[in-house]
Amino acid sequence: MFEPASADASDALLRLEDVGKTFQMGEVPVEVLRHVTFDIHPGELLVMVGPSGSGKTTLLNIIGGLDSPTVGNVWYQRQDLAAATARELTQYRRSSVGFVFQFYNLVPNLTARENVLVATEISREPMDVDRMLDLVGLQERITHFPAQLSGGEQQRVAIARAMAKNPQLLLCDEPTGALDYETGKHVLRLLVDLKDQLGKTVLIITHNAAIAPVADRVIRLRSGEIHEIQENPQPQNPEEITW
Amino acid sequence: MVSVLDRKLIREVRSSLVMLMAITSIIAVGTMSFVYMRASFHNLTFAKWQYYAQCQMADFWIDMKKAPLVELDRLDKVAGVTALRPRIQFSATVDLDRVAAPLNGTVLSLPDLRKPVLNDIVMQSGGYFTDRRANEVIVNSAFARAHAIKPGQTIHLILNNRKQALYVVGTAISSEFVYTVAPGSIAPDPKHFGIFYLKHSFAEEVFDFAGATNQIVGLLDPEHRERPQSVLREMEAILAPYGVVTAYAQKTQASNQFLSDEIRGLGIFSTVMPGIFLAVAALVLNVLMVRLVDQQRVIIGTLKAIGYSDGQIFLHYTKFALALGLLSGLVGLGLGYAMADYITSIYQMFYEFPRLENRFYPGTYGAGLLVAMGCALIGSLQAARAALRLKPAEAMRPKPPVQGGAIWLEQFAWFWQRLSFGWRLVLRNVFRNRLRTAVGIFSTAMGAGLLVCGFILASAIAYLIDFQFQLVTHSDMDLRFKDEQGYSALLEAQRLPGVDYAEPVFDIGCTFINGAHRRRGAISGMTAQRRLTVPRDIDGRALRIPNTGLAMSRKLARVLDVRAGDHVTVVPTRGRRDALRVPIAELTDSYIGMAVYADIRYLSGLVGEEFAINGVQLATEKSPDARATLYKSLKELPAVQAVNARSDVIENLEFIIETQKIFIVFVVVFAGVIFFSSLLNSSLIGLAERRREVATLRVLGYTEWQVGGLFLRESMVVNTLGTLIGLPLGYSLAWTLALLYDTEMFRFPLVSPPRVWIGTIVMAIVFACVAHAVVQRAIYRLDWLEASKTLE
Repeated sequence: MFEPASADASDALLRLEDVGKTFQMGEVPVEVLRHVTFDIHPGELLVMVGPSGSGKTTLLNIIGGLDSPTVGNVWYQRQDLAAATARELTQYRRSSVGFVFQFYNLVPNLTARENVLVATEISREPMDVDRMLDLVGLQERITHFPAQLSGGEQQRVAIARAMAKNPQLLLCDEPTGALDYETGKHVLRLLVDLKDQLGKTVLIITHNAAIAPVADRVIRLRSGEIHEIQENPQPQNPEEITW
Repeated sequence: MVSVLDRKLIREVRSSLVMLMAITSIIAVGTMSFVYMRASFHNLTFAKWQYYAQCQMADFWIDMKKAPLVELDRLDKVAGVTALRPRIQFSATVDLDRVAAPLNGTVLSLPDLRKPVLNDIVMQSGGYFTDRRANEVIVNSAFARAHAIKPGQTIHLILNNRKQALYVVGTAISSEFVYTVAPGSIAPDPKHFGIFYLKHSFAEEVFDFAGATNQIVGLLDPEHRERPQSVLREMEAILAPYGVVTAYAQKTQASNQFLSDEIRGLGIFSTVMPGIFLAVAALVLNVLMVRLVDQQRVIIGTLKAIGYSDGQIFLHYTKFALALGLLSGLVGLGLGYAMADYITSIYQMFYEFPRLENRFYPGTYGAGLLVAMGCALIGSLQAARAALRLKPAEAMRPKPPVQGGAIWLEQFAWFWQRLSFGWRLVLRNVFRNRLRTAVGIFSTAMGAGLLVCGFILASAIAYLIDFQFQLVTHSDMDLRFKDEQGYSALLEAQRLPGVDYAEPVFDIGCTFINGAHRRRGAISGMTAQRRLTVPRDIDGRALRIPNTGLAMSRKLARVLDVRAGDHVTVVPTRGRRDALRVPIAELTDSYIGMAVYADIRYLSGLVGEEFAINGVQLATEKSPDARATLYKSLKELPAVQAVNARSDVIENLEFIIETQKIFIVFVVVFAGVIFFSSLLNSSLIGLAERRREVATLRVLGYTEWQVGGLFLRESMVVNTLGTLIGLPLGYSLAWTLALLYDTEMFRFPLVSPPRVWIGTIVMAIVFACVAHAVVQRAIYRLDWLEASKTLE
């Protein structure tokens, strides 16, 4: 399982090598990802943009250990996720990554605080739940159920849940997709703060190219292939961008 | 500390309380029926063995005319016999001052001084014999209760043709009369039949039996207890010169046989009944759980994305079921204990035990709980496995919309075109949710089956009594004589006051032998022109009594391995006792016992008589005055050994029918639980799934009733199909039970009068309507404006 990492992977948190994914749709194989190769560096904010159907979510699922590539390798530190067993992937998801979903995916029967607790209960070195909720500005709403929270508040709970496990890598699937403009910007600010203040690595996938300027690097995906990787030495503040 | 996922679980339980209560009730009833039947089984078994040990219940009985006690030495030497007790046993007529009719009884001798004996008694009131008087009597408790007989009173019995005044010293019970039935009867009748224990010395004197016995009871060693036939045969041979009437082992002793059959029946029912309920519960739970997992697929995906392992998710949903099983199981155990208590009190009415109590059996109750939890676990397995297998990435994607294609019925265009929009919607839903429809049909089929089976079993008892008293027996009163009489006795009976008509009866006990097969039984002799007893086959056709040869019940013929036209060896227990080769002219069927009929003259000839009778059947005047006069003269006839009035027998059996009604109420309630719960669950799940559809219909202007009507129609379609399947299913179940219950003594008539079918259908509709009332209420309460906005 543990293979020697390639030489230049030492500074990468995660490295994808020639990753491809093919889905079988009935009798027709559909190639969703092709020859995807790139690194994710510790402490960077990476935005991956692409239109619907470009393979963003599939790639995020592979990076998050929710799915495995058909070909290629995904190195997380010295571990190849492409060859990991289900148990190893569960362990990886539990300790190394945090997910933020477009529709928040909160458990409706649990309060805000409990929705965060659900993550920390299985975590080895969790963050303090109340501190996380404080950080996302929800200390007043911890006993509310998802149905009693606004979309922005729900997304903040989801971010708190993702962060509470204290993962290295935060994976966000269209985190502002279901939010209004102002709330979306607040959530972006929160993600930037997590990178700046806690040193977390953040990967945002979105079809909204206007978000790209906040990133340290931007990867453009088109038809399952990397179209362009763009360095951004001067990321903008979320407050400065508009869409 | 309750984990967060457990909190989720608790809240989910709370939010689907009605549905879960429905399932809980089915599991609880299943557990209850398992527990109460097993507990009753153990209660009876325990009480039986305790009682048998306490009274030293005999392993065998040998009845004979009269044998000197010295012969016992020879019996003692028979290998396998470990103890013997000779006693004196006679039938007697009881003449109670306050009762017009002469009553029947069996007199048994007991040692003058108290000492432990085989078939001992357990005193219930008063005391054992004293040395103050010779004519002391101990009366069996049930008879004493029925007639308020107390120690210190004097009663009169006709003993050996003489009316004797007997002083009651106490009341008692004995293990050989747990189920006290008069010879030839099938139900205990404590008002008209009693057991009377006399001092042995007094019995010797009254019956002229000094140094003699006419009944030997004894014990066998464990090896021969299982196979008593050879020992019994050997003893019969030794006692042959003294006129052995019958020799039988404990297994065929009447009281023991009734009790053992009941215990056996409980054993059978304790698997069938809970089996039905738990199967239904598991399937209904399966539908609910599959739906729950389906509804929570995104949550499951998210939990897996967060890092929950497949095992943890599997455990989470299994825990849900186990919690449900535990809760239902505990409710079932509580109900089961209460029910066992109640059933035990019913048994106390029919069986006389010194102690019959409802005990707590940790094994049975533990097993009940395990069964309940196992059922819930099985019910949740498919869903939990689906949750286990769900790939997180897949779970996150919204489920593709359900295919809304045409259903199979739509191929029949002419039919489909004629359906209203509502019916099309109903049928599409029924056909598309195949699993739910199948489970609904299965559950209602089981419910209907249970009703049919219960109704049939209840009808059987009523039918049997009807059959016996409307078709077979027409006599108002049956008299039995102590000894064989000639034709003159018939004429004398005809001259009794209030008698319109009399017919002779001649029964002889005998042993039937065919090669290695033997069976003791009796032949009933009757005249060709009989009116008061018309033996019939099970189809109700009057039997032809052959001029020569026997009409033998099919069951006995099977036991003896003979067919119509074969010969069988008959050794009568009276007369010359010669072994006779007798042809079997006809085979017949009967519900009770293993009847064998012959022409009375032919039968008399077999025992060397021209025309013998030992009983008469009477058609009498019905007025109370005429009846009183007749009873008065009968009390003065020492030749009469037993008097049975039709009205008394029917009245006694009606009490049994009343008890049966309680059983029916339980069956209906239990079946109702299945119907109600499964239909309710199915409808509520349908409603939850189709909130938006309901909301849309409401927006379109449908009223609550119109929307409810759609759900009701769906329920009714499932209910009707299930009930239609349940009708033959219930019949098969009753058939199977009748087969399992088929004993030599008794056979269940499998009758199904229209009320069985109509009753089942009516109940099915009622239950469906009651379940719908809950659904209709949920539709009324649905916030359809909200539902039209939200995604499922």
